[in-house]
Amino acid sequence: MNEEKEQSVLVQILSRGYERIFFENWPMWMGGILIGIMSIITFAWARPWGVAGGLRNWGDWFFAAVGLYSHKPLSPWISTNSILTLGLLWGAFGSALMSKQFAFRPAPGLELIKGIVGGILMGTGAAMAGGCNVGGFYSAMSALSASGISMMVGLIMGAYLGLRYLYWELEHFPPRATGGVQSEQGKKGFNWLAIEPYIGAAAFLAAIVFAWIYSKIALTRIGGLLLCGVAFGLIIQRTRFCFVRGFRDPFMTGEGEVPRAIAISLIISILGFAALKWTGLRGEGVYVPQAFWFGALVGGIIFGIGMVVAGGCGSGSVWRAGEGQLKLMLAVIFFALSTSLVKAGIKSSKALTNLMGHRVFLPDFLSYKWTLILLIALMLVYYLLATWNEETDKFTLEI
Amino acid sequence: MVDNITPDETLDCRGLSCPMPILKTKKAIGKMKSGQVLEILGTDPGTKNDLPAFAKKSGHEYLGEKEDQGFTRFYLKVK
Repeated sequence: MNEEKEQSVLVQILSRGYERIFFENWPMWMGGILIGIMSIITFAWARPWGVAGGLRNWGDWFFAAVGLYSHKPLSPWISTNSILTLGLLWGAFGSALMSKQFAFRPAPGLELIKGIVGGILMGTGAAMAGGCNVGGFYSAMSALSASGISMMVGLIMGAYLGLRYLYWELEHFPPRATGGVQSEQGKKGFNWLAIEPYIGAAAFLAAIVFAWIYSKIALTRIGGLLLCGVAFGLIIQRTRFCFVRGFRDPFMTGEGEVPRAIAISLIISILGFAALKWTGLRGEGVYVPQAFWFGALVGGIIFGIGMVVAGGCGSGSVWRAGEGQLKLMLAVIFFALSTSLVKAGIKSSKALTNLMGHRVFLPDFLSYKWTLILLIALMLVYYLLATWNEETDKFTLEI
Repeated sequence: MVDNITPDETLDCRGLSCPMPILKTKKAIGKMKSGQVLEILGTDPGTKNDLPAFAKKSGHEYLGEKEDQGFTRFYLKVK
């Protein structure tokens, strides 16, 4: 065996691996499992995963800059909220580039308005529920907070109402297409698509360098969280993991693939969080928002309508924005602005704060054992109902 | 194999993102006859996963896709 030949074999192995990761579809259930594992790693490293908090930090900065807020918010470079969401955007952007899927994607006018309105609704709902579909539902449920359950009910109701609206819109204002998006290749004789993977690789490398710099200035935790966010972005972009579909699909097409993936993911994450809290390694009150039941339920409904109208939830809007979709970029911007304003409004009034509800840590009432049995049973029911509906189409709305 | 398909209807979903292409497809199929072929033009990367999954679930036959200048053509045969 000469050395050159061995090297070319290695190159082949690496390029096969690259194709497998960035060009082949990852199954949805794998996305669920990986997100469940990352959720536990992120909590064990520093704190639970969230998206809306980061957007709120950016919104706070905007309003502080224009003089509406008197106090300066925590720097987006230090805020763990902000860093996680930045990482998500970063990872999705890098992953879209590596897969040659990044392109600036404009959308027709009505779609852009739906992005804005959906973003405002999501921002409002997230402020009420103590987080978006991630912080208020996924992580709150994992953290054994009762608000996670009431937001789940709200999200299902909101997704149903949002879908009803989309059906109505399709009947009365059928969306017009933009026509061809600018040809992605061969424009001005330069093939952007061919160099996208190199830019993507540079983006991932830059994230690692950033994390290293953070560790040099004694902010290792923040740097690690950035990498956690990047991992979420990569996983979610490659699997096209979409929480909206978990609530919308059963009504729209009757497909149950995403609800099943979410149920599996949450069972993993719930067990991991329970282990960290039960053993006292992490505080029991972490990610138990003061939102049970009113804030989480009503916030969930508002958020659910918004995510269906925008076509992306907290995490979904961010990763699709990272892929270059204009509609979701607008959704993210208006999400950030509205969630900042509504949260500030709620905080400024004691009556409103109390209206949102209580902090309810389920094990305080049910013990850890029964909480785990209850939540896992709930996920199994969700899994089974979605699969049953796939066969029977009992919940599916005809157009 | 998708090269010599003559579609009965064409649905332009370019510039639309999830879930609009699937919703428009669902609606268009309702008005078509069994055995007819629907061509869908799309730019959302998600459609490449969503359309075959939708076809499988709803019993229509997914015939395939082909790349055009900056968009993709998808073909679906109504059950």
